[in-house]
Amino acid sequence: MKRFSGQSWATAALIFSAATLLLAQSERGDYTQRNLGALAQPAARRAQTDDAKYSIGSYPLYWPEFPEGEGKSLVTSYCNACHSPRYILMQPPLSREQWAAEVTKMVKTYGSEIPEADQTVILNYLTAHYTPETRKM
Amino acid sequence: MPTIPRRRLLKALSSGAGAFALARLAGPLRLARAASQTAKGAVEHVPAFTGPGANPYWSAVGSVVTYPQKYPLILLTDRPVQLETPRHFFLSPFTPNGAFYVRWHLEGIPSTVDLAEWRLEVSGNVRTPLKFSLPELLSRFHHTSFAAVNQCSGNSRSYFQPRVPGGQWGNGAMGNAQWTGVRLAEVLQAAGVKPGSVQVQFQGLDQGPGAEGLGSHSFLKSLDLSNPVLDECLLAWEMNGEPLPLLNGFPLRVVVPGYFATYWVKSLASIRVLEKPDENFWMKAAYRIPDTPRGTTSPEAVKAGSVKTVPIGRMPVRSFIITPEPDEKVPAGLPNTLQGIAFSGYGRVSKVEVSSDDGRSWAAARLGEDLGAYSFRTWEFAWTPGRRGMHTLAVRATDEKGNVQPEDGVWNPGGYLWNRIERQKITVGAAQ
Repeated sequence: MKRFSGQSWATAALIFSAATLLLAQSERGDYTQRNLGALAQPAARRAQTDDAKYSIGSYPLYWPEFPEGEGKSLVTSYCNACHSPRYILMQPPLSREQWAAEVTKMVKTYGSEIPEADQTVILNYLTAHYTPETRKM
Repeated sequence: MPTIPRRRLLKALSSGAGAFALARLAGPLRLARAASQTAKGAVEHVPAFTGPGANPYWSAVGSVVTYPQKYPLILLTDRPVQLETPRHFFLSPFTPNGAFYVRWHLEGIPSTVDLAEWRLEVSGNVRTPLKFSLPELLSRFHHTSFAAVNQCSGNSRSYFQPRVPGGQWGNGAMGNAQWTGVRLAEVLQAAGVKPGSVQVQFQGLDQGPGAEGLGSHSFLKSLDLSNPVLDECLLAWEMNGEPLPLLNGFPLRVVVPGYFATYWVKSLASIRVLEKPDENFWMKAAYRIPDTPRGTTSPEAVKAGSVKTVPIGRMPVRSFIITPEPDEKVPAGLPNTLQGIAFSGYGRVSKVEVSSDDGRSWAAARLGEDLGAYSFRTWEFAWTPGRRGMHTLAVRATDEKGNVQPEDGVWNPGGYLWNRIERQKITVGAAQ
């Protein structure tokens, strides 16, 4: 594991204290599963209170369809830890090399804890369904 | 009944042979329905993705979705939220708050802000660390208001060739608003920046599930204290005369006129004065451009590791045709008005030119009201097409520094700085 320098620790401590402070100021990361194309019209009214809280409720989640195949559940569960797997669908078809770089970035840069064997299964799934040659949906 | 993949089914419906094949599978009732659809022209759905070629559309491909405080926008991702503004909203110089695009980096985005708890904290290498409630901030400093374009660094990324990973924006990851707030410089002055300081860092209320110190935990952006843009920066609580929508950074966001939106930190909670350059992921690894003319390079150079990079900064000059849209048909010999917008992060747009012959000849467009150096500037061009057939329209802008849009696109691995001349085909029909 990489050792933190003194300065990084100081920065980390600063960020941590700031993060603790930020916690009280807002509610975050609130999402609710919805269906695409099924918008409530008119939208349900939220009961508003006259205190200092400003809320827009939870954000809609639209779970996309993924092709069946080995690795599907690993992909949807590991990726879903930090972002919706819709991120995969948004990308243009990418080569295996590009997908490998994405998986590596998630592990090495963003700290996703995916065992190496699972990384390979995930990469194989992405290659089987999301390259210029294989992508269908 | 055997299942047919939806895509293939749609394709089949558009051809007689397909309808015949379908009849054998589904029986006469289904055939009747299919045939009536085919007779009117099969419905062509927007595809689920584009590539490996460039995105052929003006906007990103995606479903239209409704979010709190927002009009229906184009969905790129739902967690965290990324939404694109549809084209028609750019007919006016100001982008309505409800239509303004949305881009967050970390999944923990605020859905509730408690102003009883929220404080803007100014800390780090300052003489007097400060904390402000919203009313304190509003009462202590002068209010300033100006128009400025906010454009995502990755706007138009889907036109890159070869394609690069990242948010596959069309052209709608931009907007223009009248921002009202206090000057960052006054707030920093109140805290007293101590000698030896080099940068000022911004952090919002958003947070990710990653471990501390990683880019997946905090989104942090910094500007050099020596950068003259600091004197122009605002801490804004108002956008087009209203509080910011939560998705656009309620209660307060940084406004860095002329700069890409990555520095315009939303739901701002903390300003830190740093003694050492910020080395967090969002400065050191992300949002960097090749240190080359126009920030362009090649996949080969990137692979060879020979590309030196610098943090992204000002927005290159751009212009867009907003109307007519590409599926319109106009009669030959009848007057038309082409409309669009232009802007530059380097100062006022001084000239917009339009070509109706694919860039062989150009004529000046009439500029709309000057709403400020960093605002959208609308333009209009009276055009009477002389002959039937397909015409290629093009638009190019020049700014007051003499920067002019180039013919060629750029390429860099981040998918940033797209600003080539926009073109659009339009059909001209017979008038009688």
